[in-house]
Amino acid sequence: MSLDVEESIKQDIDLRLKDIAKCEIQRERRLKLYTGKDRVIPVLGFLKSYGFIHLAAISCVDWLDDGEFEIVYNLWSYRDKAGILVKTRISRENPEIDTAIPIYEIAETYEREIHEMFGVNFPGNPNLTSLFLEDWNGPPPMRKDFDTRKYAAEKYGMRDLTEQLKIGMDKIKGVRDGDEIL
Amino acid sequence: MRYFEYFVGPQHVGVTGNMSYHLWADGDEIKKMITSVGYLHRGFEKLMEYREWVKNVPMVPRICVPEPDVNEVLYAMGVEELSGLVPSERAQYIRVLVLEMARLSAFLFYFAGAAGALGLYTIPQWTIGDRDYILDRFEELTGGRAYHIYTTPGGVRRDLPDGFKSRVQETMNYLKKRLIDYDRLMFENAIIVKRTKGIGIIEKDYAMNMGVTGPNLRASGIKADVRKDDHYLVYDKLDFDVPVVGDGDIFSRIMQRRLEFDESIKIIEQVLEMMPDGGFIEKLPNPIEWKVPAGDVYVKLESSKGEFGYYIVSNGEEKPYRIHVRGPSYTHGIQVAQEKIVGMRIADVAPFLFSLDVCPPDIER
Repeated sequence: MSLDVEESIKQDIDLRLKDIAKCEIQRERRLKLYTGKDRVIPVLGFLKSYGFIHLAAISCVDWLDDGEFEIVYNLWSYRDKAGILVKTRISRENPEIDTAIPIYEIAETYEREIHEMFGVNFPGNPNLTSLFLEDWNGPPPMRKDFDTRKYAAEKYGMRDLTEQLKIGMDKIKGVRDGDEIL
Repeated sequence: MRYFEYFVGPQHVGVTGNMSYHLWADGDEIKKMITSVGYLHRGFEKLMEYREWVKNVPMVPRICVPEPDVNEVLYAMGVEELSGLVPSERAQYIRVLVLEMARLSAFLFYFAGAAGALGLYTIPQWTIGDRDYILDRFEELTGGRAYHIYTTPGGVRRDLPDGFKSRVQETMNYLKKRLIDYDRLMFENAIIVKRTKGIGIIEKDYAMNMGVTGPNLRASGIKADVRKDDHYLVYDKLDFDVPVVGDGDIFSRIMQRRLEFDESIKIIEQVLEMMPDGGFIEKLPNPIEWKVPAGDVYVKLESSKGEFGYYIVSNGEEKPYRIHVRGPSYTHGIQVAQEKIVGMRIADVAPFLFSLDVCPPDIER
């Protein structure tokens, strides 16, 4: 298993983005790149011109204990046959990061979803309307501090089933004692 | 200027799932379209964070209804990569067999939808009927027809039953025979050719920039296939071609699937021949106390609709920290469809949307 392609990509990235990004090889055909919030757009611009033309997805991870969101841009190069995860962290207090639409047009829908599910703002994205949720006034539901079970219990309430349970148990007992089944 | 407004969906527009399209037309010409997703949002990503690693196995197939096996295999691949498990070679061959059978059944579903959208109802009757023979094989192998819950981290849950290989071969022989009929009925059909040639063109560069993957990308003329480029399981040992039609219109998207159908049958026949003996599942830790080592991984594979990917993050606990599912329809189902439908005639809307093979459950999760 040789890592020649990955090594050469890493070398090029290290050379061009020496001060603003840190690159590492995860395994065959997979690289990772860490960069700052303000540097993401230039880094993505460089990577696209380098050959990473396919934006497979933008993911968001809520690191509640660190008080940060991690935005992960998932790129793939058809030429080099390698993928790279570009990661950056933004503060949870004021979650905001520039849109990637000027570089990857398809970012629009992914950013729309992250805006809806995590409440991250993307200045420059013209279409940050709701995507999946309708008439939703609660907090962004994919955040770690949003508890779906608690929300459902508060909003819809829990049914009290003790009475039905008792009737059922009595029936079972009756069968066991040899009574006729209804 | 006032336009005629109309809606497609959200009831099943044929077989694609619940998703609605809001269209504005000037006479017979579409001026604008807005897709409205959300009818199938079940919040799987959030639910997965509440459940132990092994409890997610029966849940993930629900993410894509027509082709559930890709989710099982991807989840298993991701967990295995994080925890350093390597399934036995036999298990990997069985997974390829399951994946390719799922691809065939998804393609049969696709032919039904594509022809049904053009008003040719004989083809859906035939293909859905033939799909059932594949489901019979699935039932025999896994116990389930639509959802199989068969692949699990570490391997597969059961070994092949006695005589299973020969029965799969029989099904393949039957499908090969049927393909001659399909060709005459569907792919050489004057109505299909006239209605679909030169309509709904997605250009090569546009497709690449908009993140279109899979058969739709290859129909636009780019030879890219996850099975070849980022090979997983045992695909690097199998001999198959990646057909490229290249015109990018509705017809080439339908034709692309037809050509890939042959390749999948070829792969299944090779798998049946080459499958080694051995165990089918590795020894796993206690599922209730299973802590997957911390880390993150992106695994992907080629589904019948394009690149299906799972981004899995673990923080070393009993439950996943975050799982992001990249459905293949996400790109061509929303933005690409919205932009490319402008200027089309109303009658071409249904064939165009079908030809993209949009699967709303994997957009919304």
